[in-house]
Amino acid sequence: MKAKLGVSALVLLFLAGLWLVAAPFAVGYQPRGAGYVDATVNDLWLGGSIAAVSFVSLVVYAADALRELARRGKHADA
Amino acid sequence: MIRKFVGAVAAALAVMAGMWLMIAPFALGTQPENADWTDPTATEFFTGLGVAVVGLIGVICFVLAIYEELVVRGLVVVRQRQAEPEPEPAPPAPQASSAELASLLAPLVEALREDLNNPGEHRRNGKASLVGMEDNR
Repeated sequence: MKAKLGVSALVLLFLAGLWLVAAPFAVGYQPRGAGYVDATVNDLWLGGSIAAVSFVSLVVYAADALRELARRGKHADA
Repeated sequence: MIRKFVGAVAAALAVMAGMWLMIAPFALGTQPENADWTDPTATEFFTGLGVAVVGLIGVICFVLAIYEELVVRGLVVVRQRQAEPEPEPAPPAPQASSAELASLLAPLVEALREDLNNPGEHRRNGKASLVGMEDNR
């Protein structure tokens, strides 16, 4: 139950990272056709990092859970 | 086990990222001093706040999940709180009856009375009277 809550938090963090990447263009503080302002660069780096880390964590979590399921299946067959 | 550890680390990193997002507009100087918050400031601050809170919840959940698994594996022993034994009621102190007390104090009272009745006389053993001794203290 607690691990599921943690996974939910990771999903929310992934979505927050995506929002951070999109925020400068969605909110409008990044002028079109101009070089990236400091806030945009910060948001892109942070958002991309948060999304990437949370995504990798979700993948690792799913992979390890699948591996455990496969191991239990092998034990059941034997 | 390892997946929960990875989740806890990722959530902890997210907490730090969220805190940086909250202070970034002021640290980078994109927020003018003595002015209302600009759009980038508000966006970064509140997004960072949400990221930090969600990350903190994730850290707590994963750490508790790891703890539970360690308990299930027997690597961590949960201490059972021992119920404190109720203190036994102290046995009632033996109380001397008033008759015993009176018999014990009778010689003393008698001596005091004699001493008061004969204040000028010395006792046979040469010592002053009890009342006189008390007055001289």
